[in-house]
Amino acid sequence: MTMDSPPAAANPGRSAIRIAGLVKRYGAVEAVRGIDLEVRAGEVFGFVGPNGAGKSTTIRCVLDLLRPTGGTLEVLGRDPRRAGVELRRRIGYVPGELRLPERMTSRQLVASIARVRGGLDRSLVDTIATRLQLDLDRPTRDLSSGNRRKVALLLAFAPRPELLILDEPTSGLDPLMQHQFLAMISEARDAGATVFLSSHVLSEVQRAADRVAVLRAGRIVAQGTVDELRRRARQRVEVWFAEPGPRVERTQIPGLEDVVLEGRRLAGTLAGPIDPVVAALAHHKLTSLVIEEPNLEDAFLDLYGGEA
Amino acid sequence: MTGARLELVLGPFRQMRRSLLGWAIGLGALVAVTVAFWPVFRDSSGISEAIDQLPAGIIEAFGLAGFGTPAGFLRGNLYEFIVPLLLAVAAVGAANGLTSAEEDSGRLELYLGQPVTRQSLFIGRSVALAAWLTVLTAVVLLVQLASGAAVGLEVDTARVVSTVVLCGSLALLIGAVALAVAGWVPRPALVLAVGIVVAVGGYLVAALLPLSDALEPLSRVSPWSWALGGDPLVNPAEPWRYAALLAPALVLALIGVAGFVRRDVRAA
Repeated sequence: MTMDSPPAAANPGRSAIRIAGLVKRYGAVEAVRGIDLEVRAGEVFGFVGPNGAGKSTTIRCVLDLLRPTGGTLEVLGRDPRRAGVELRRRIGYVPGELRLPERMTSRQLVASIARVRGGLDRSLVDTIATRLQLDLDRPTRDLSSGNRRKVALLLAFAPRPELLILDEPTSGLDPLMQHQFLAMISEARDAGATVFLSSHVLSEVQRAADRVAVLRAGRIVAQGTVDELRRRARQRVEVWFAEPGPRVERTQIPGLEDVVLEGRRLAGTLAGPIDPVVAALAHHKLTSLVIEEPNLEDAFLDLYGGEA
Repeated sequence: MTGARLELVLGPFRQMRRSLLGWAIGLGALVAVTVAFWPVFRDSSGISEAIDQLPAGIIEAFGLAGFGTPAGFLRGNLYEFIVPLLLAVAAVGAANGLTSAEEDSGRLELYLGQPVTRQSLFIGRSVALAAWLTVLTAVVLLVQLASGAAVGLEVDTARVVSTVVLCGSLALLIGAVALAVAGWVPRPALVLAVGIVVAVGGYLVAALLPLSDALEPLSRVSPWSWALGGDPLVNPAEPWRYAALLAPALVLALIGVAGFVRRDVRAA
């Protein structure tokens, strides 16, 4: 499938979603405690955090399904409270807690949503269904959670929206379908769409997103590009020296922590830049040097710091 | 836009087809079987004589006056209590099934993510409730007329029509109470409880308070009294009775809309 007709970019170079000071309280529970966030038009933005961090609450405020306790929201340049219908016409949304209407087939559901939206491109619907290996003629109640997710993805992508808001879109999808999904995301971006992608599965965000915000307990604890977050992540370093008992001390290798020296092997974790380590090791003869590629999972776990 | 509005009625209505079929079969069978006993009842004079022995208050409370007549037989067996109550319960269940049960289970989310207003979604479901109840009421009416004709139960057709329509209107009013609650508080248990309490409580008020001369005027607050207080199987029903049921039903549905557009949509 190719997204051959790009969505009209309403505000190129500007923000697709701008959230300032968002607070959402349910009685005594504060689900979102002051979020500031900007998703730029045309980017894939990852919204990462454990379950209960406030991802879905934030997203449902963006769609005007929830009314914020405080703060301001601007979506595609509009206030979602005032321009809800217009905005939702320009948005494709996959709900996090996904339940489909029962007693109908997926095809009937798609037809119903098409009538509500005033039409959907049928050939695009069929193309996406084929691509996701989705049998549209099965009753929705018989579908696995992964297949229900596919129906929701189809409904979100089929209108070729300017903004895709996908809340845990790949939960239940098998790896092959996750791969398809990532391809669909990058095609949508190439066609000019903005993608706001929430997940607690970091690997998919790491692969798809330009920038990421990490959410914990209703607050954003980190925001930046995937590379920036990766730089903050700890890397595991393992060094094998050519001769036993080299005079290596922790202080000689800046940034290296949790150092263990056993015979010719030295291991530790590195939180800072790699250059000083390489420079310090340059004075020694090494047989092996392993610096593990940090993934966002590690960066992410660091941010929890065990208190989540 | 009209296509979208229509779908917001027809989509939910389609979801409720199975429950409509169930209620139609159940109520239709109840009416047909009850009416089928009319020839037996008519020919055994003992029962109506036994009823005549009962205290006047009991006869009044249970709608047994003139039990030996065709109209009295229908009123006492069907339209005094069981048919309007079952219609009202059906309406409360359908109202809940169209709104708070759907919201509570998260099945509204997909539609609310579409370019529709909350208002049009809730109004669509309210209209679907009215359509659902209209079909159910029409089934009861048709079964009543057909089975009555089959066993020679002679009650003026216009009286039967107006009685069944009043029962349907009463049920719509009580269903609208459920809608009003569902608009503000998406808790299916609460919506069902309030609806059933209004249905049964309304009956008790209309049936029991007249037993006391002092309390009798208070019975007029019950919609049951507005619907059936004029004995519509015998006397032509005044137009205000329909208005007294349908106008508040409309207001209650709009109260539900007013709540639904203001609050958070419940997540599954």
